[in-house]
Amino acid sequence: MGHHHVSSPELFRNVLITLLILTALTVAASRIHFGSANMLIAMAIASIKASLVIAFFMHLKWDTGINKIVFLSAFLFLSLLFVFTLGDQATRRMDHEMHVVKALVDKQWVQPPPLHTGKQ
Amino acid sequence: MSEGHHAVVIPAPGPEFVPHTVAHHFDTPVQEFQSAKLGFWLFLATEILLFGGLFAAYFFYHEAYPETFRLGGQQLDWKLGAVNTTVLLVSSWTMAMGVRSAQTSQKKKTLFYCGLTVLGAVMFLVIKFFEYKAKNDHGLFVFTNMFGGYDQATGQLSWFKDYGGVMAGVPHGHLFFAIYVTMTGIHGIHVLVGAGLIIWIMKGCAKGRFHAGYFLPVDLVGLYWHLVDLIWIFLFPLLYLVP
Repeated sequence: MGHHHVSSPELFRNVLITLLILTALTVAASRIHFGSANMLIAMAIASIKASLVIAFFMHLKWDTGINKIVFLSAFLFLSLLFVFTLGDQATRRMDHEMHVVKALVDKQWVQPPPLHTGKQ
Repeated sequence: MSEGHHAVVIPAPGPEFVPHTVAHHFDTPVQEFQSAKLGFWLFLATEILLFGGLFAAYFFYHEAYPETFRLGGQQLDWKLGAVNTTVLLVSSWTMAMGVRSAQTSQKKKTLFYCGLTVLGAVMFLVIKFFEYKAKNDHGLFVFTNMFGGYDQATGQLSWFKDYGGVMAGVPHGHLFFAIYVTMTGIHGIHVLVGAGLIIWIMKGCAKGRFHAGYFLPVDLVGLYWHLVDLIWIFLFPLLYLVP
C-alpha cells in the first residue's frame, strides 16, 4: 500500500491533551498585559499548536518530503505577504513623525520639506 | 499506457468490506495514493493562502487602528470562543482516530469517530450562530443589510448600526466587525463543507468501501478537517484574545 505508519491512540491522546493545555495557556497569557508582546505570545503559542496538528494529526511527520515542501512553502509565501504588507504599514507614519527627515534637517543635510497640510 | 492494461483491484480484507478498483489512469495503488495525497496537499496550500490574505488584512488594520480592534475584540465573548476552540481541537482528535480506524479496517469505530466529528462541527456552528445573533441584535453586523451601500448623507454603513454605541469613541468601528464576520464566516462555511464531506465518508464507510487496503478518501477528508481546526487555532487568539 505504501503507507507504513499508523499512529497509536496514545500519541493522538497526548497531542490532544497538549493542545488543550496550550489553549488554556493562551487564554491565561492574554489576561496578563504584556503590551505589544501579547500578540507575539499568542501567535507563538498558536504556532506551536498548529505544528502539533500538522505534524501528528495531519501525519506530515511521516509523510513524503514533497508533501512537506508543498505545504510548508505556502507558509513561506504567506510570510512574504505579511512582511511586505506590515512593513508598509509600520513605516507609513514616518512622513508625519518625520524622525528620519528631522535628523537630516538638523544636520542641515537637507532643506526642510514642505508640510502636507492638504490645502492646495 | 502499458500493453494489455487491466484493472488493479485491492481486495477487501473481510466480508463487511468491498474491494477497491484502482482508477484506470494509475498503474499501481501506491501511485494512486501518492498522487491523490500530493494533489490534496497542494489544495491545502491554496487554502492557507486564501485565509492568509484575510489574516494579512486583519494585521494591516489592527496596526492602523489598534483602539478599534481592542474595543471590537472586547465585544466578543472569549469564553464562547474558547469553547469553540476546545470543540474543534477535540473534533480533530476524533477525526484522527476515525482515519486510524479506517487504516486498521475497523468499520464500526470509523463510523463512530466520524459521527463524533460531525457532532463537533454542529456544536461549533450552533455556538457561532448565537454569537452572530448577538452581534446582529446589537447592530454590530446587521445581516439583513449586508449588501446595502454607504449612505452619503448620514455617513452610515447600512450593515453597521451599533445600537449600543459601543464603538463610538474609536475610528472606523465597523472595520473590526467586517473582518470578524468575513473571516469567521468563510471559516464557518469550511466547517459546514467539512461536515458534509465527513457525512459522505460515513455513507461510504457504511458500504464497506474503506479499509486498510484503501482509506484514501477518509485520509483526505481528515486532512481537510484538520485544516479547518488549524485556521481556528489562529483565528481565536487574534479575534477574541489579543485585545
